[in-house]
Amino acid sequence: MNWTWFHKLGSPKSFYAITSRWLPWLIAAMGAFLVVGVLWALLFIPPDYQQGYTTRILVVHVAVAGTSLAFFPIMAVAGTITLVWRMKLADMVAKNAAPLGAWFSFVTLATGSLWGSVMWGTWWEWTDARLVSMLFQFFLLLSVVALRSAIEDNDKAARACALLSIVGCINVVIIKYSVEWWNVLHQPNSPVGMSNSGANGPEFWLPTLVMIVAVYLFLAVSLILATRNEILQRERKAQWVQDLVASS
Amino acid sequence: MIEAIQFSSFAEFLNMGGYGFNVWSVYSVFFVFVVVNLLAPLRRRKQIMKELKRRNILNENAQDSGQASDQASNSLGENQ
Amino acid sequence: MTVKHTSTSGAFFATLKRDLLIAYKRKNDLLNPFMFFLIVASLFPIAISPDPEQLSSISSGVLWIAALLASLLAMDNLYRSDYEDGSLELLLLSPQPLYFMVLAKNLSHWLVSGLPVVLVSPLIAYMLKLPAESYLPLFLSLLLGTPVLSLLGSIGVALTVGLGSRGLILAVITLPMSVPVLIFGTLAVQEPRFGAELAGYLAILGAMLFFTITLAPLASAAALRISVN
Repeated sequence: MNWTWFHKLGSPKSFYAITSRWLPWLIAAMGAFLVVGVLWALLFIPPDYQQGYTTRILVVHVAVAGTSLAFFPIMAVAGTITLVWRMKLADMVAKNAAPLGAWFSFVTLATGSLWGSVMWGTWWEWTDARLVSMLFQFFLLLSVVALRSAIEDNDKAARACALLSIVGCINVVIIKYSVEWWNVLHQPNSPVGMSNSGANGPEFWLPTLVMIVAVYLFLAVSLILATRNEILQRERKAQWVQDLVASS
Repeated sequence: MIEAIQFSSFAEFLNMGGYGFNVWSVYSVFFVFVVVNLLAPLRRRKQIMKELKRRNILNENAQDSGQASDQASNSLGENQ
Repeated sequence: MTVKHTSTSGAFFATLKRDLLIAYKRKNDLLNPFMFFLIVASLFPIAISPDPEQLSSISSGVLWIAALLASLLAMDNLYRSDYEDGSLELLLLSPQPLYFMVLAKNLSHWLVSGLPVVLVSPLIAYMLKLPAESYLPLFLSLLLGTPVLSLLGSIGVALTVGLGSRGLILAVITLPMSVPVLIFGTLAVQEPRFGAELAGYLAILGAMLFFTITLAPLASAAALRISVN
Protein backbone atom coordinates (compact mmCIF):
# COMPACT_ATOMS: atom_id res chain seq x y z
CA MET A 1 0.00 0.00 0.00
CA ASN A 2 1.34 3.37 -0.97
CA TRP A 3 0.73 6.03 1.65
CA THR A 4 2.42 9.00 0.00
CA TRP A 5 -0.95 10.48 -1.02
CA PHE A 6 -1.95 10.51 2.65
CA HIS A 7 1.18 12.33 3.75
CA LYS A 8 0.76 14.71 0.86
CA LEU A 9 -2.80 15.44 1.90
CA GLY A 10 -1.50 16.09 5.40
CA SER A 11 0.62 19.03 4.37
CA PRO A 12 -1.39 22.23 4.01
CA LYS A 13 0.31 23.15 0.77
CA SER A 14 -0.48 19.92 -1.06
CA PHE A 15 -3.96 19.83 0.46
CA TYR A 16 -4.52 23.25 -1.07
CA ALA A 17 -3.17 22.11 -4.43
CA ILE A 18 -5.11 18.83 -4.45
CA THR A 19 -8.39 20.43 -3.43
CA SER A 20 -7.90 23.10 -6.10
CA ARG A 21 -8.13 20.27 -8.60
CA TRP A 22 -11.01 18.48 -6.85
CA LEU A 23 -13.19 21.44 -6.01
CA PRO A 24 -14.67 22.12 -9.47
CA TRP A 25 -15.74 18.47 -9.73
CA LEU A 26 -17.10 18.36 -6.21
CA ILE A 27 -19.05 21.56 -6.72
CA ALA A 28 -20.43 20.33 -10.03
CA ALA A 29 -21.48 17.01 -8.50
CA MET A 30 -22.99 18.76 -5.49
CA GLY A 31 -24.96 21.14 -7.70
CA ALA A 32 -26.23 18.31 -9.88
CA PHE A 33 -27.30 16.13 -6.95
CA LEU A 34 -28.92 19.07 -5.17
CA VAL A 35 -30.93 20.13 -8.21
CA VAL A 36 -32.00 16.57 -9.03
CA GLY A 37 -32.82 15.81 -5.39
CA VAL A 38 -34.83 18.97 -4.78
CA LEU A 39 -36.75 18.81 -8.05
CA TRP A 40 -37.45 15.11 -7.65
CA ALA A 41 -38.68 15.65 -4.12
CA LEU A 42 -40.80 18.69 -4.87
CA LEU A 43 -42.30 17.55 -8.17
CA PHE A 44 -42.45 13.78 -8.28
CA ILE A 45 -42.98 12.28 -4.84
CA PRO A 46 -46.59 11.13 -4.68
CA PRO A 47 -48.58 12.13 -1.60
CA ASP A 48 -48.36 9.58 1.21
CA TYR A 49 -51.70 8.11 2.24
CA GLN A 50 -51.15 9.24 5.84
CA GLN A 51 -48.74 12.11 5.65
CA GLY A 52 -49.69 13.75 2.36
CA TYR A 53 -46.99 15.95 0.93
CA THR A 54 -45.11 16.28 4.20
CA THR A 55 -42.88 13.40 3.09
CA ARG A 56 -41.16 16.07 0.99
CA ILE A 57 -40.00 17.63 4.24
CA LEU A 58 -38.56 14.32 5.33
CA VAL A 59 -36.37 14.07 2.24
CA VAL A 60 -34.45 17.16 3.35
CA HIS A 61 -34.73 16.44 7.06
CA VAL A 62 -33.44 12.88 6.86
CA ALA A 63 -30.52 13.88 4.64
CA VAL A 64 -29.40 16.75 6.89
CA ALA A 65 -29.97 14.75 10.09
CA GLY A 66 -27.98 11.77 8.82
CA THR A 67 -25.12 13.97 7.69
CA SER A 68 -25.05 15.88 10.98
CA LEU A 69 -24.18 12.63 12.76
CA ALA A 70 -20.90 12.56 10.86
CA PHE A 71 -19.49 15.63 12.59
CA PHE A 72 -18.47 14.22 15.94
CA PRO A 73 -16.72 11.23 14.34
CA ILE A 74 -14.96 13.59 11.91
CA MET A 75 -13.90 15.87 14.77
CA ALA A 76 -12.83 12.96 16.99
CA VAL A 77 -10.66 11.46 14.23
CA ALA A 78 -9.19 14.87 13.41
CA GLY A 79 -8.67 15.45 17.13
CA THR A 80 -6.81 12.16 17.54
CA ILE A 81 -4.57 13.08 14.61
CA THR A 82 -3.96 16.50 16.21
CA LEU A 83 -3.08 15.03 19.58
CA VAL A 84 -0.97 12.13 18.37
CA TRP A 85 0.76 13.39 15.24
CA ARG A 86 0.35 17.15 15.71
CA MET A 87 -0.75 17.43 12.09
CA LYS A 88 -1.71 21.04 11.52
CA LEU A 89 -4.19 20.27 8.79
CA ALA A 90 -6.32 18.04 11.03
CA ASP A 91 -6.95 20.93 13.36
CA MET A 92 -7.80 23.28 10.51
CA VAL A 93 -10.49 20.81 9.45
CA ALA A 94 -11.71 20.31 13.03
CA LYS A 95 -11.88 24.01 13.73
CA ASN A 96 -14.27 24.59 10.84
CA ALA A 97 -16.19 21.36 11.33
CA ALA A 98 -17.55 22.39 14.74
CA PRO A 99 -19.55 25.48 13.70
CA LEU A 100 -20.66 23.77 10.49
CA GLY A 101 -21.86 20.81 12.54
CA ALA A 102 -23.80 23.17 14.78
CA TRP A 103 -25.46 24.55 11.65
CA PHE A 104 -26.37 21.05 10.51
CA SER A 105 -27.85 20.17 13.90
CA PHE A 106 -29.80 23.39 13.98
CA VAL A 107 -31.25 22.82 10.51
CA THR A 108 -32.13 19.26 11.52
CA LEU A 109 -34.03 20.58 14.53
CA ALA A 110 -35.74 23.31 12.50
CA THR A 111 -36.86 21.00 9.69
CA GLY A 112 -37.83 18.34 12.21
CA SER A 113 -40.08 20.69 14.11
CA LEU A 114 -41.61 22.00 10.87
CA TRP A 115 -42.51 18.39 10.07
CA GLY A 116 -43.65 17.71 13.63
CA SER A 117 -45.89 20.75 13.69
CA VAL A 118 -48.18 19.11 11.15
CA MET A 119 -47.68 15.44 11.92
CA TRP A 120 -47.66 15.65 15.71
CA GLY A 121 -49.49 18.95 16.09
CA THR A 122 -46.61 20.39 18.08
CA TRP A 123 -43.35 22.14 17.26
CA TRP A 124 -41.41 20.43 19.97
CA GLU A 125 -41.88 16.95 21.37
CA TRP A 126 -39.78 15.73 24.29
CA THR A 127 -41.00 12.20 23.79
CA ASP A 128 -39.14 11.87 20.51
CA ALA A 129 -35.70 10.55 21.43
CA ARG A 130 -34.14 11.63 18.15
CA LEU A 131 -35.13 15.26 18.65
CA VAL A 132 -33.83 15.35 22.21
CA SER A 133 -30.50 13.71 21.46
CA MET A 134 -30.08 15.98 18.44
CA LEU A 135 -30.63 18.95 20.75
CA PHE A 136 -27.83 17.78 22.99
CA GLN A 137 -25.57 17.10 20.04
CA PHE A 138 -26.22 20.72 19.08
CA PHE A 139 -25.26 21.88 22.59
CA LEU A 140 -22.10 19.77 22.61
CA LEU A 141 -21.00 21.13 19.24
CA LEU A 142 -21.60 24.66 20.49
CA SER A 143 -19.50 23.92 23.55
CA VAL A 144 -16.58 22.95 21.29
CA VAL A 145 -17.06 26.23 19.39
CA ALA A 146 -17.19 28.13 22.70
CA LEU A 147 -14.00 26.49 23.98
CA ARG A 148 -12.21 27.33 20.74
CA SER A 149 -13.13 30.98 20.99
CA ALA A 150 -12.23 31.15 24.68
CA ILE A 151 -8.61 30.00 24.26
CA GLU A 152 -6.40 32.57 22.60
CA ASP A 153 -3.35 30.48 21.92
CA ASN A 154 -3.88 28.63 18.64
CA ASP A 155 -1.92 25.51 19.49
CA LYS A 156 -3.46 25.15 22.93
CA ALA A 157 -6.95 25.69 21.53
CA ALA A 158 -6.30 23.03 18.92
CA ARG A 159 -5.36 20.38 21.47
CA ALA A 160 -8.03 21.35 24.01
CA CYS A 161 -10.74 21.20 21.35
CA ALA A 162 -9.34 17.92 20.05
CA LEU A 163 -9.70 16.40 23.50
CA LEU A 164 -13.18 17.83 24.00
CA SER A 165 -14.22 16.48 20.60
CA ILE A 166 -13.09 12.97 21.52
CA VAL A 167 -14.89 13.16 24.89
CA GLY A 168 -17.91 14.66 23.13
CA CYS A 169 -17.98 11.89 20.54
CA ILE A 170 -18.19 9.22 23.26
CA ASN A 171 -20.72 11.34 25.09
CA VAL A 172 -23.03 11.78 22.12
CA VAL A 173 -23.33 8.00 21.83
CA ILE A 174 -24.08 7.59 25.57
CA ILE A 175 -26.58 10.44 25.48
CA LYS A 176 -28.30 8.89 22.47
CA TYR A 177 -28.86 5.59 24.24
CA SER A 178 -29.80 7.18 27.58
CA VAL A 179 -32.36 9.41 25.92
CA GLU A 180 -33.83 6.44 24.08
CA TRP A 181 -34.18 4.54 27.33
CA TRP A 182 -35.63 7.56 29.10
CA ASN A 183 -37.99 7.98 26.22
CA VAL A 184 -39.30 4.43 26.24
CA LEU A 185 -40.35 4.92 29.86
CA HIS A 186 -42.21 8.12 29.06
CA GLN A 187 -43.87 6.67 25.99
CA PRO A 188 -47.47 6.64 27.37
CA ASN A 189 -47.71 10.38 26.73
CA SER A 190 -46.47 10.19 23.17
CA PRO A 191 -48.70 11.47 20.41
CA VAL A 192 -50.10 9.07 17.84
CA GLY A 193 -48.41 8.59 14.50
CA MET A 194 -44.92 9.21 15.83
CA SER A 195 -43.08 6.99 13.42
CA ASN A 196 -42.51 7.97 9.85
CA SER A 197 -43.00 4.40 8.74
CA GLY A 198 -45.54 5.45 6.14
CA ALA A 199 -42.87 6.92 3.96
CA ASN A 200 -40.74 3.98 2.96
CA GLY A 201 -41.44 3.09 -0.67
CA PRO A 202 -38.82 3.48 -3.41
CA GLU A 203 -40.62 6.61 -4.66
CA PHE A 204 -39.64 8.10 -1.32
CA TRP A 205 -36.22 6.65 -0.53
CA LEU A 206 -34.72 7.08 -3.99
CA PRO A 207 -34.94 10.90 -3.89
CA THR A 208 -33.86 10.73 -0.24
CA LEU A 209 -30.77 8.81 -1.28
CA VAL A 210 -29.97 11.42 -3.92
CA MET A 211 -30.43 14.12 -1.32
CA ILE A 212 -28.18 12.37 1.19
CA VAL A 213 -25.39 12.21 -1.40
CA ALA A 214 -26.04 15.88 -2.21
CA VAL A 215 -25.82 16.95 1.43
CA TYR A 216 -22.63 14.94 2.02
CA LEU A 217 -21.10 16.61 -1.03
CA PHE A 218 -22.21 19.96 0.33
CA LEU A 219 -20.58 19.13 3.66
CA ALA A 220 -17.35 18.26 1.85
CA VAL A 221 -17.38 21.40 -0.30
CA SER A 222 -18.18 23.77 2.55
CA LEU A 223 -15.60 22.19 4.84
CA ILE A 224 -12.91 22.22 2.16
CA LEU A 225 -13.60 25.88 1.33
CA ALA A 226 -13.37 26.87 4.98
CA THR A 227 -10.23 24.77 5.51
CA ARG A 228 -8.55 26.43 2.53
CA ASN A 229 -9.24 29.84 4.09
CA GLU A 230 -7.72 28.61 7.31
CA ILE A 231 -4.63 27.43 5.41
CA LEU A 232 -4.20 30.79 3.70
CA GLN A 233 -4.47 32.52 7.03
CA ARG A 234 -2.16 30.34 9.06
CA GLU A 235 0.42 29.83 6.32
CA ARG A 236 0.40 33.46 5.21
CA LYS A 237 4.12 33.80 5.81
CA ALA A 238 4.90 30.81 3.56
CA GLN A 239 6.37 31.57 0.16
CA TRP A 240 3.74 29.61 -1.77
CA VAL A 241 0.91 31.65 -0.23
CA GLN A 242 2.73 34.88 -1.03
CA ASP A 243 3.15 33.73 -4.63
CA LEU A 244 -0.50 32.74 -4.77
CA VAL A 245 -1.58 36.14 -3.50
CA ALA A 246 0.73 37.94 -5.89
CA SER A 247 -0.57 35.98 -8.87
CA SER A 248 -4.25 36.42 -8.03
CA MET B 1 -41.84 11.97 -17.06
CA ILE B 2 -44.11 15.00 -17.33
CA GLU B 3 -47.08 12.82 -16.41
CA ALA B 4 -45.32 11.83 -13.20
CA ILE B 5 -45.38 15.42 -11.96
CA GLN B 6 -47.85 15.47 -9.12
CA PHE B 7 -49.40 18.85 -9.83
CA SER B 8 -51.60 20.19 -12.59
CA SER B 9 -51.34 23.88 -11.72
CA PHE B 10 -48.82 26.19 -10.12
CA ALA B 11 -51.22 27.12 -7.34
CA GLU B 12 -51.57 23.44 -6.48
CA PHE B 13 -47.79 23.16 -6.45
CA LEU B 14 -47.55 26.04 -3.98
CA ASN B 15 -50.29 24.62 -1.82
CA MET B 16 -48.64 21.16 -1.41
CA GLY B 17 -51.89 19.54 -0.44
CA GLY B 18 -52.44 21.96 2.40
CA TYR B 19 -48.95 21.70 3.84
CA GLY B 20 -47.54 24.54 1.74
CA PHE B 21 -46.27 26.60 4.65
CA ASN B 22 -44.30 23.76 6.22
CA VAL B 23 -42.92 22.30 3.02
CA TRP B 24 -41.81 25.64 1.63
CA SER B 25 -40.40 26.74 4.98
CA VAL B 26 -38.26 23.62 5.13
CA TYR B 27 -36.98 24.13 1.61
CA SER B 28 -36.26 27.83 2.30
CA VAL B 29 -34.39 27.00 5.48
CA PHE B 30 -32.43 24.38 3.55
CA PHE B 31 -31.73 26.84 0.72
CA VAL B 32 -30.51 29.56 3.09
CA PHE B 33 -28.40 27.00 4.95
CA VAL B 34 -26.68 25.75 1.80
CA VAL B 35 -26.15 29.19 0.28
CA VAL B 36 -24.84 30.78 3.49
CA ASN B 37 -22.39 27.97 4.15
CA LEU B 38 -21.03 28.18 0.61
CA LEU B 39 -20.95 31.96 0.24
CA ALA B 40 -19.51 32.72 3.67
CA PRO B 41 -16.22 30.88 3.05
CA LEU B 42 -16.00 32.36 -0.44
CA ARG B 43 -16.45 35.89 0.87
CA ARG B 44 -13.98 35.21 3.65
CA ARG B 45 -11.48 34.06 1.05
CA LYS B 46 -11.81 37.33 -0.86
CA GLN B 47 -11.31 39.25 2.37
CA ILE B 48 -8.20 37.22 3.26
CA MET B 49 -6.75 37.67 -0.22
CA LYS B 50 -7.29 41.43 -0.02
CA GLU B 51 -5.72 41.59 3.40
CA LEU B 52 -2.70 39.50 2.38
CA LYS B 53 -2.22 41.58 -0.75
CA ARG B 54 -2.28 44.78 1.24
CA ARG B 55 0.28 43.37 3.62
CA ASN B 56 2.56 42.23 0.84
CA ILE B 57 2.51 45.73 -0.63
CA LEU B 58 3.17 47.25 2.77
CA ASN B 59 6.04 44.86 3.36
CA GLU B 60 7.56 45.70 -0.01
CA ASN B 61 7.30 49.40 0.78
CA ALA B 62 8.81 48.76 4.16
CA GLN B 63 11.70 46.90 2.61
CA ASP B 64 12.21 49.72 0.12
CA SER B 65 12.22 52.44 2.72
CA GLY B 66 13.86 50.26 5.35
CA GLN B 67 11.04 50.64 7.85
CA ALA B 68 9.36 47.78 9.63
CA SER B 69 5.60 47.70 9.31
CA ASP B 70 4.17 45.38 11.86
CA GLN B 71 0.76 46.97 12.09
CA ALA B 72 -0.29 45.21 8.93
CA SER B 73 0.65 41.76 10.11
CA ASN B 74 -1.30 42.25 13.30
CA SER B 75 -4.52 43.20 11.59
CA LEU B 76 -5.17 39.62 10.50
CA GLY B 77 -5.86 37.86 13.74
CA GLU B 78 -5.28 34.18 14.31
CA ASN B 79 -8.61 33.57 15.92
CA GLN B 80 -11.49 34.47 13.70
CA MET C 1 23.53 9.17 46.46
CA THR C 2 20.14 7.80 47.29
CA VAL C 3 16.88 9.14 45.94
CA LYS C 4 13.80 8.62 47.99
CA HIS C 5 11.09 7.16 45.79
CA THR C 6 7.46 7.76 46.55
CA SER C 7 5.16 4.95 45.56
CA THR C 8 2.09 5.66 43.46
CA SER C 9 -0.25 4.88 46.31
CA GLY C 10 1.82 7.10 48.60
CA ALA C 11 1.49 9.96 46.13
CA PHE C 12 -2.23 9.31 45.81
CA PHE C 13 -2.84 9.54 49.53
CA ALA C 14 -0.48 12.47 49.95
CA THR C 15 -2.40 14.44 47.31
CA LEU C 16 -5.71 13.44 48.85
CA LYS C 17 -4.56 14.45 52.34
CA ARG C 18 -3.17 17.74 51.14
CA ASP C 19 -6.36 18.69 49.29
CA LEU C 20 -8.59 17.75 52.20
CA LEU C 21 -6.39 19.76 54.53
CA ILE C 22 -6.61 22.81 52.28
CA ALA C 23 -10.38 22.42 52.06
CA TYR C 24 -10.57 22.16 55.83
CA LYS C 25 -8.55 25.34 56.23
CA ARG C 26 -10.96 27.24 53.98
CA LYS C 27 -14.22 26.51 55.66
CA ASN C 28 -16.14 28.95 53.49
CA ASP C 29 -15.41 27.02 50.34
CA LEU C 30 -16.53 23.95 52.18
CA LEU C 31 -19.85 25.45 53.10
CA ASN C 32 -20.71 27.24 49.85
CA PRO C 33 -21.82 24.35 47.62
CA PHE C 34 -23.79 22.96 50.51
CA MET C 35 -25.56 26.29 51.12
CA PHE C 36 -26.13 26.67 47.40
CA PHE C 37 -27.85 23.29 47.28
CA LEU C 38 -30.12 24.21 50.19
CA ILE C 39 -31.04 27.61 48.76
CA VAL C 40 -31.69 26.45 45.19
CA ALA C 41 -33.86 23.59 46.44
CA SER C 42 -35.90 25.94 48.63
CA LEU C 43 -36.46 28.35 45.76
CA PHE C 44 -38.52 25.81 43.82
CA PRO C 45 -41.49 25.64 46.20
CA ILE C 46 -41.58 29.43 46.20
CA ALA C 47 -41.38 29.73 42.42
CA ILE C 48 -43.66 26.83 41.51
CA SER C 49 -46.15 26.12 44.24
CA PRO C 50 -46.27 25.13 47.91
CA ASP C 51 -48.87 22.51 46.98
CA PRO C 52 -47.58 19.18 48.41
CA GLU C 53 -48.81 17.15 45.47
CA GLN C 54 -47.12 19.30 42.85
CA LEU C 55 -43.97 19.41 44.94
CA SER C 56 -43.79 15.67 45.32
CA SER C 57 -44.05 15.20 41.56
CA ILE C 58 -41.10 17.52 40.83
CA SER C 59 -38.98 16.95 43.93
CA SER C 60 -36.70 14.24 42.51
CA GLY C 61 -35.86 16.40 39.51
CA VAL C 62 -35.33 19.47 41.67
CA LEU C 63 -32.98 17.61 43.97
CA TRP C 64 -30.96 16.23 41.10
CA ILE C 65 -30.69 19.57 39.30
CA ALA C 66 -29.73 21.32 42.54
CA ALA C 67 -27.04 18.69 43.17
CA LEU C 68 -25.79 19.09 39.60
CA LEU C 69 -25.58 22.88 39.90
CA ALA C 70 -23.94 22.68 43.32
CA SER C 71 -21.30 20.32 41.95
CA LEU C 72 -20.75 22.66 38.99
CA LEU C 73 -20.40 25.68 41.25
CA ALA C 74 -17.81 23.98 43.40
CA MET C 75 -15.90 22.80 40.32
CA ASP C 76 -14.09 26.05 39.78
CA ASN C 77 -11.96 25.54 42.90
CA LEU C 78 -10.77 22.14 41.74
CA TYR C 79 -7.58 23.18 39.95
CA ARG C 80 -7.62 26.98 40.04
CA SER C 81 -5.74 27.74 43.25
CA ASP C 82 -3.21 25.02 42.41
CA TYR C 83 -2.81 26.55 38.99
CA GLU C 84 -2.33 30.02 40.41
CA ASP C 85 0.26 29.10 43.02
CA GLY C 86 2.14 26.79 40.66
CA SER C 87 1.64 23.54 42.55
CA LEU C 88 -0.26 22.14 39.58
CA GLU C 89 2.90 22.35 37.50
CA LEU C 90 4.79 20.43 40.17
CA LEU C 91 2.07 17.81 40.09
CA LEU C 92 2.47 17.49 36.32
CA LEU C 93 6.24 17.13 36.70
CA SER C 94 6.04 14.42 39.34
CA PRO C 95 7.15 10.94 38.24
CA GLN C 96 3.98 9.24 39.50
CA PRO C 97 1.22 8.66 36.96
CA LEU C 98 -0.92 11.77 36.72
CA TYR C 99 -4.04 9.60 36.53
CA PHE C 100 -3.87 8.78 40.25
CA MET C 101 -3.13 12.38 41.27
CA VAL C 102 -6.14 13.60 39.31
CA LEU C 103 -8.23 10.81 40.81
CA ALA C 104 -7.11 11.86 44.30
CA LYS C 105 -8.00 15.48 43.63
CA ASN C 106 -11.40 14.48 42.24
CA LEU C 107 -12.05 12.24 45.22
CA SER C 108 -11.21 14.98 47.69
CA HIS C 109 -13.37 17.39 45.73
CA TRP C 110 -16.28 15.00 45.88
CA LEU C 111 -15.75 14.33 49.60
CA VAL C 112 -15.87 18.07 50.23
CA SER C 113 -18.61 19.21 47.86
CA GLY C 114 -20.55 16.13 46.76
CA LEU C 115 -20.84 14.01 49.88
CA PRO C 116 -22.38 16.77 52.09
CA VAL C 117 -25.04 17.29 49.44
CA VAL C 118 -25.78 13.57 49.38
CA LEU C 119 -25.97 13.43 53.16
CA VAL C 120 -28.33 16.38 53.48
CA SER C 121 -30.54 15.28 50.57
CA PRO C 122 -33.07 13.32 52.72
CA LEU C 123 -33.78 16.50 54.67
CA ILE C 124 -34.45 18.53 51.53
CA ALA C 125 -36.41 15.58 50.16
CA TYR C 126 -38.65 15.76 53.20
CA MET C 127 -39.14 19.50 52.76
CA LEU C 128 -40.02 18.94 49.10
CA LYS C 129 -42.53 16.21 49.98
CA LEU C 130 -40.76 13.41 48.21
CA PRO C 131 -42.78 10.20 48.73
CA ALA C 132 -41.35 8.22 51.63
CA GLU C 133 -40.48 5.14 49.58
CA SER C 134 -38.21 7.24 47.35
CA TYR C 135 -35.78 8.29 50.06
CA LEU C 136 -33.50 5.30 49.72
CA PRO C 137 -33.43 5.41 45.89
CA LEU C 138 -32.68 9.14 46.02
CA PHE C 139 -29.89 8.71 48.51
CA LEU C 140 -28.30 5.79 46.67
CA SER C 141 -28.64 7.37 43.22
CA LEU C 142 -27.04 10.59 44.44
CA LEU C 143 -24.30 8.60 46.15
CA LEU C 144 -23.45 6.86 42.87
CA GLY C 145 -24.22 9.80 40.58
CA THR C 146 -22.51 12.79 42.18
CA PRO C 147 -18.99 11.31 41.89
CA VAL C 148 -19.67 10.90 38.16
CA LEU C 149 -20.58 14.59 38.01
CA SER C 150 -17.33 15.48 39.79
CA LEU C 151 -15.27 13.31 37.46
CA LEU C 152 -16.93 14.69 34.32
CA GLY C 153 -16.76 18.27 35.54
CA SER C 154 -13.06 17.81 36.22
CA ILE C 155 -12.48 17.43 32.45
CA GLY C 156 -14.18 20.75 31.78
CA VAL C 157 -12.26 22.50 34.56
CA ALA C 158 -8.97 21.05 33.39
CA LEU C 159 -9.65 22.30 29.85
CA THR C 160 -10.45 25.82 30.99
CA VAL C 161 -8.10 26.21 33.96
CA GLY C 162 -5.78 28.75 32.39
CA LEU C 163 -8.51 30.98 30.99
CA GLY C 164 -9.51 34.37 32.29
CA SER C 165 -13.27 34.04 32.27
CA ARG C 166 -14.29 30.47 33.02
CA GLY C 167 -17.65 30.49 34.74
CA LEU C 168 -20.02 30.23 31.80
CA ILE C 169 -17.88 28.22 29.45
CA LEU C 170 -17.42 25.62 32.15
CA ALA C 171 -21.20 25.28 32.44
CA VAL C 172 -21.58 25.11 28.67
CA ILE C 173 -19.04 22.29 28.45
CA THR C 174 -20.08 20.32 31.52
CA LEU C 175 -23.88 20.48 31.64
CA PRO C 176 -24.61 18.67 28.35
CA MET C 177 -22.23 15.89 29.43
CA SER C 178 -24.23 15.35 32.61
CA VAL C 179 -27.41 14.38 30.77
CA PRO C 180 -27.02 10.58 31.04
CA VAL C 181 -26.38 10.78 34.80
CA LEU C 182 -29.36 13.07 35.22
CA ILE C 183 -31.57 10.70 33.24
CA PHE C 184 -30.67 7.58 35.17
CA GLY C 185 -30.44 9.41 38.50
CA THR C 186 -33.98 10.73 38.26
CA LEU C 187 -35.31 7.50 36.76
CA ALA C 188 -33.87 5.59 39.71
CA VAL C 189 -35.91 7.79 42.01
CA GLN C 190 -39.13 7.86 40.00
CA GLU C 191 -39.45 4.45 38.40
CA PRO C 192 -39.41 2.18 41.50
CA ARG C 193 -42.67 3.90 42.47
CA PHE C 194 -44.24 2.33 39.40
CA GLY C 195 -42.85 -1.08 40.19
CA ALA C 196 -39.52 -0.98 38.37
CA GLU C 197 -36.49 -2.67 39.86
CA LEU C 198 -34.28 -0.17 41.70
CA ALA C 199 -31.25 -2.44 41.43
CA GLY C 200 -31.27 -2.14 37.63
CA TYR C 201 -30.97 1.63 37.69
CA LEU C 202 -28.35 1.53 40.39
CA ALA C 203 -26.42 -0.99 38.31
CA ILE C 204 -26.44 1.41 35.37
CA LEU C 205 -25.34 4.31 37.57
CA GLY C 206 -22.63 2.08 39.02
CA ALA C 207 -21.50 1.13 35.53
CA MET C 208 -21.34 4.83 34.65
CA LEU C 209 -19.30 5.46 37.78
CA PHE C 210 -16.75 2.77 36.89
CA PHE C 211 -16.64 3.91 33.29
CA THR C 212 -15.90 7.50 34.33
CA ILE C 213 -13.43 6.46 37.03
CA THR C 214 -11.41 4.63 34.40
CA LEU C 215 -11.62 7.17 31.59
CA ALA C 216 -12.41 10.64 32.95
CA PRO C 217 -9.18 11.10 34.97
CA LEU C 218 -7.22 10.16 31.84
CA ALA C 219 -9.02 12.88 29.92
CA SER C 220 -8.57 15.33 32.81
CA ALA C 221 -4.86 14.52 32.99
CA ALA C 222 -4.47 15.05 29.24
CA ALA C 223 -6.46 18.29 29.50
CA LEU C 224 -4.23 19.54 32.33
CA ARG C 225 -1.13 18.83 30.28
CA ILE C 226 -2.64 20.87 27.46
CA SER C 227 -3.74 23.78 29.64
CA VAL C 228 -0.61 24.08 31.77
CA ASN C 229 2.34 24.68 29.42
